[in-house]
Amino acid sequence: MAIDSNSRRRILKAGVAAPVLLGAPWVARYAHAQAASLGPYQSAKVNWRQAEGEKITVAVIPAGYFDALISITPEFQALTGIEVRYEKVPPGQIRQKAILDLTSKTGTYATHAADPMYYDLYVSNKWIEPIEKYLGDAKLTDAGWYNANDIIPAWRGANSVKGQLYGVPFDGESTLQIYRKDLYDAKGLKPADTLDQVAKNAAAIHDPNNRVWGAALRGFKGAGQNMYIYPSIFRALGGEWFSGGAFRANSKEGVAALEWYVELLSRYAPPAVRNWNWPDLADAFSQGTLGLYIDANTSASVLNNPERSKVLGKIGYARWPKGPSGKRVSSIWNWGFPINAALSEKAKRATWLFIQWASAAETQARTSWKAQGPVKRLGLNRLSLWQSKEFATLAGGLGSNFLEASIDSLRNDLDVDWRPKMPQWPAVGETMATAIQAALVGQQKPREALDEAQTRIGQILKG
Amino acid sequence: MSRRSGERRFALALFLPALLLLVVTTTLPLVYLIWTSVQRVDLSMPWITGFAGLENYAKLGADARFWSSMALTFIYTGTTVALQVVVGLGLALLVMQVKAGQGLLRVAAILPIVLAPVVAGLFWRSLVLAPDFGIMDFFTRSLGLGSYNWLGDPQLALISVIAIHTWQWTPFAFLVLLASLAALPPDIYEAARLDRAGPWQRFRHITLPLIRPAIVIVVILRMVTALSAFAAIFAATGGGPGTATEILNLYAYRLSFTELNLGYGAAVATVLLLITLTVSFGLFALRKGR
Repeated sequence: MAIDSNSRRRILKAGVAAPVLLGAPWVARYAHAQAASLGPYQSAKVNWRQAEGEKITVAVIPAGYFDALISITPEFQALTGIEVRYEKVPPGQIRQKAILDLTSKTGTYATHAADPMYYDLYVSNKWIEPIEKYLGDAKLTDAGWYNANDIIPAWRGANSVKGQLYGVPFDGESTLQIYRKDLYDAKGLKPADTLDQVAKNAAAIHDPNNRVWGAALRGFKGAGQNMYIYPSIFRALGGEWFSGGAFRANSKEGVAALEWYVELLSRYAPPAVRNWNWPDLADAFSQGTLGLYIDANTSASVLNNPERSKVLGKIGYARWPKGPSGKRVSSIWNWGFPINAALSEKAKRATWLFIQWASAAETQARTSWKAQGPVKRLGLNRLSLWQSKEFATLAGGLGSNFLEASIDSLRNDLDVDWRPKMPQWPAVGETMATAIQAALVGQQKPREALDEAQTRIGQILKG
Repeated sequence: MSRRSGERRFALALFLPALLLLVVTTTLPLVYLIWTSVQRVDLSMPWITGFAGLENYAKLGADARFWSSMALTFIYTGTTVALQVVVGLGLALLVMQVKAGQGLLRVAAILPIVLAPVVAGLFWRSLVLAPDFGIMDFFTRSLGLGSYNWLGDPQLALISVIAIHTWQWTPFAFLVLLASLAALPPDIYEAARLDRAGPWQRFRHITLPLIRPAIVIVVILRMVTALSAFAAIFAATGGGPGTATEILNLYAYRLSFTELNLGYGAAVATVLLLITLTVSFGLFALRKGR
């Protein structure tokens, strides 16, 4: 047998190592790859092993981007000696579970994938720690290596309360128009630049007899569904959530925004749209039945699934259309990681090391274009990564104008006041969502629905 | 010490563990619920926490959503119970005529009952009532009646959740009524026939009075279940669209766990508890009265 001496030595070594490693086969699998790959982290001037032996639990939602993180977490364990256990909680329940844990101060979840709208609630109950404490501590963070300012500013703004950062964005999105370039081209249409043009384009494409509907938006009830779309319309029309310090649901702009929403869906969307959340929209678009929808740019990976999509190569992207004031308003949605205040000091440090690792540029790249698995994340948390050559290659095949529209909107359209920042958001968001749905299904007129929401929110805020 | 008191003590010792378990699992949470309902506890406004007295209850008067969910609760309970009794009795009378295979029918009838309500809700939502793909739409479209958004339209959604509940629980009414029909003495019917009573007269003057106790029991049990219904509606519509299917239970849930106003949510739940107790006591009294 022709084995060169080098590989023979490797085989011998493996033979010696095998019995030792039998007890923990996964350690063996990763130990090999890691020796080389920890370098980029070890160049940070921070003692990664200062919380060695800690065990932390992280709650995430079942999603490709967290799976990508989970799959490389053994690298974090090898780097720090901190053991990480993940718990996957469906998005509909993660807020309740987190609140249950935070309010009972059991410290079950060291950190969890947090909704940016919940930080005000968390902070007013002192459930989480200010990140600055860890970010500003040279023993815990190598500021130059980590470069926190590179993380998309509006996401940091969204995760801040009174100027203090409370959760580090891990993955996020901006909202874009996603349209059928082939249909638009055939009619000589350009993607809408203003809200008015959305309806015009939709009218030109609309052909329900041939199962093509002009436009659709999330119509299902919920803070993250219809109350995800409505705020962008409302803000683009110049709406302000607070007037004189008091919440205003039924302002002129509010009613106009809801009328626009109701009008567009009732004229140009499939009837079932009122029950639709983003996966349903993505399905319908993939099946070729929608001319346009406006949703998260990260849906691009679903729309380009070769097994499911009938619109490969026919997808175009454009920024949110602007309102009369010229404002385009995208969501500032991101999943951030806060630090649970109920933890011991050592566990808090371990949690910070985890957050720092997960949100670092290197880890973001390793869960994206460097990822081994089929899922390559798109919702990267740093503009420098969005502008990198490697990411451009990855994003190139997603459709026309994807990268440009995404970067433009991440830079210019993210609006920290997209939704009203307040501790009472869970109740306010739910009430608004209920009112919007009542208008969308025709149970109430937009003004009526918002007047009722205003009354109710007034009562809620009074306590 | 007399033998008697010794026996009583022994009985108490046997009874105590069960009583303790009941107290811990039902009475204590109930007391805590009522205690919470007189507190100001709103997680989104921790600064207002404190004793509220009857403030939470006073707020109910001006809360339009509370009254509309109260009305929905009564509509939902009234229609589902009436439908269950009428359909259940009809089915029982029909099955009484079937000589062979009654056992099989009984087993088939049990199936919906053993389903968890949340499964029933999801099953109807995704298989029966889904627009375009659902069984209902298949029928209405093949009959030329068109496609409907069964759970997306406010009125259809209410009808749909009533249908789901009726579908799931009618078999219970059916089984109870079938059993009591089967136990009716045949000689009375023979006597009635000799007196030339028609089928309607026999039903109206013999069958109904004889199975009246069974009907009352069915009504009481079904009312309590309908008043405390939650999972099937939660799974099928989540109380929506808007608040079209938001019965009191769902409203209390939303207040406490979505809006995080635990004090006010507890007050709504307490009111629902009072309604349920009043209704069942009223019906029991009615039953004893005659």
